Amino acid sequence: MIEAKAVNFAYHRGEPVINDISCKVENGEFVALLGHNGSGKTTLSRLFMALLHPRSGEVLVDGVNIENLEPADLAHQVGYVFQNPDLQILEDTVFAEVAYGPRCKKKSETAVKEQVDAALEAMGLSDLADAYPRTLSFGQKRRLGVAAALALSPQTLILDEITNGQDEQEKNNMMAYLERLNQEKGITIILITHDMNIAREYARRAIVLQNGDLVFDGTTADLYDGKRELSEWGLSQPIIATLSARFSVEGQTAAEFCEKLHLKEGAIG
Amino acid sequence: MKITAFTQLITVLAVTAWVFLLPVPVVATILVLELALLLYIKHDRLTMAAIGALTVFTGMMILLQLLFGSPLRVSLAGGLRMFVMTTAFLCLLAATKIQDIAQALVEKFHLPCEYAFMLTTALRFVPDFLTDSATTLDAQSCRGYSNRGNIFKRLYSYLAVVKPLVMRAVAKSDTLALSMELKGFGANTYQNMCPQKLGIVDYVVLLIVIVLSTYPLWSKYL
Repeated sequence: MIEAKAVNFAYHRGEPVINDISCKVENGEFVALLGHNGSGKTTLSRLFMALLHPRSGEVLVDGVNIENLEPADLAHQVGYVFQNPDLQILEDTVFAEVAYGPRCKKKSETAVKEQVDAALEAMGLSDLADAYPRTLSFGQKRRLGVAAALALSPQTLILDEITNGQDEQEKNNMMAYLERLNQEKGITIILITHDMNIAREYARRAIVLQNGDLVFDGTTADLYDGKRELSEWGLSQPIIATLSARFSVEGQTAAEFCEKLHLKEGAIG
Repeated sequence: MKITAFTQLITVLAVTAWVFLLPVPVVATILVLELALLLYIKHDRLTMAAIGALTVFTGMMILLQLLFGSPLRVSLAGGLRMFVMTTAFLCLLAATKIQDIAQALVEKFHLPCEYAFMLTTALRFVPDFLTDSATTLDAQSCRGYSNRGNIFKRLYSYLAVVKPLVMRAVAKSDTLALSMELKGFGANTYQNMCPQKLGIVDYVVLLIVIVLSTYPLWSKYL
């Protein structure tokens, strides 16, 4: 469980980036963190991971204030996956890359193997365990980043723009793996994204930031019900929401929408 | 009225010579002028950090000289000279676009364009490299990397940050080389740009540079 209590933050230049934000993410939730560029999404997520510390207010992870902790202290509770996987690839095999975290934590080699195998399996990379990480496709590298975070068995995963720059198939693959992690293993997912279709299809809750203020915290169904002018927050309606409103069909996902309109599967989204 | 990159380069080279030619009090005066100029041109956090880092480095240099048996006066003068030379380059970088420096090097100093480009690329890589290193450090910290323990442990564990950075730099330079080739980089690259003409201010500055640089020749007649 991650909780922000009246958190304020500003970088060295002094401009406030996060203004008095309070929110709580319970275990097992799938949350989309949304907002325009510069709205404070990444800053808030960095505060959750102790990569930054608030100027005032508190961030609690499982009820413990993380003010005096480093990211390495939290790695077994919260996993953070960065946008660019190339900037963290260190080892010569996929297995060793994923094993880096557990080895840093001085786990026994048996435990390391168990955790790495489980993480690779969860992200569909078991067949590539001996591959050289830099030769993987971009989507595979992204999954490797998630596996590396998962290897420390965190309860929460924070994913920063994880689907950016991926084709539809890779995007869907990644989201399917994340959905499975959330539903089968109960891992909390906090997804920072600009992709409204993904937010609507996979997340159950949305937190919207605008210029450092929390402007919406509720279900994605409420966010995309067509009653709000999302463009004011720098967001757009997902295509499914627009089509649903246009054809008066209720459907949370593209598949449901296609089924209700008797369209061929995969015709939309 | 702006001083051209050529004049600035000449001045920096002259300052490098002055620190050895001029008496220590004059060198100290130059330092004060340089710092005032640098803070006038740019007084952001990065500039302050650069001055701070340079001060620490100078202090270490003086300490090392003392440890190896140099007299205090010589060590302090050595530190001061290094500080003045480096600050002159900081002023140059703060006041002039890297592109202009490269153009002046090719146009006025007849440096081969490949070398000028190498210099500008190296300077341009620094901010990118710093950003990447911060991101890599954060990414590895989130996987359990911690900069704790004794100096040897810390140095060894820092490989987790250095290795991805080196690989990234190699990949970037490869992409850069390819894109330059595709854009037709070659001997004409800097010659196609608008030539930098010297103005009155340039001549005045160059005159001062000449007068000060010939100080050992005319000082004995004073």
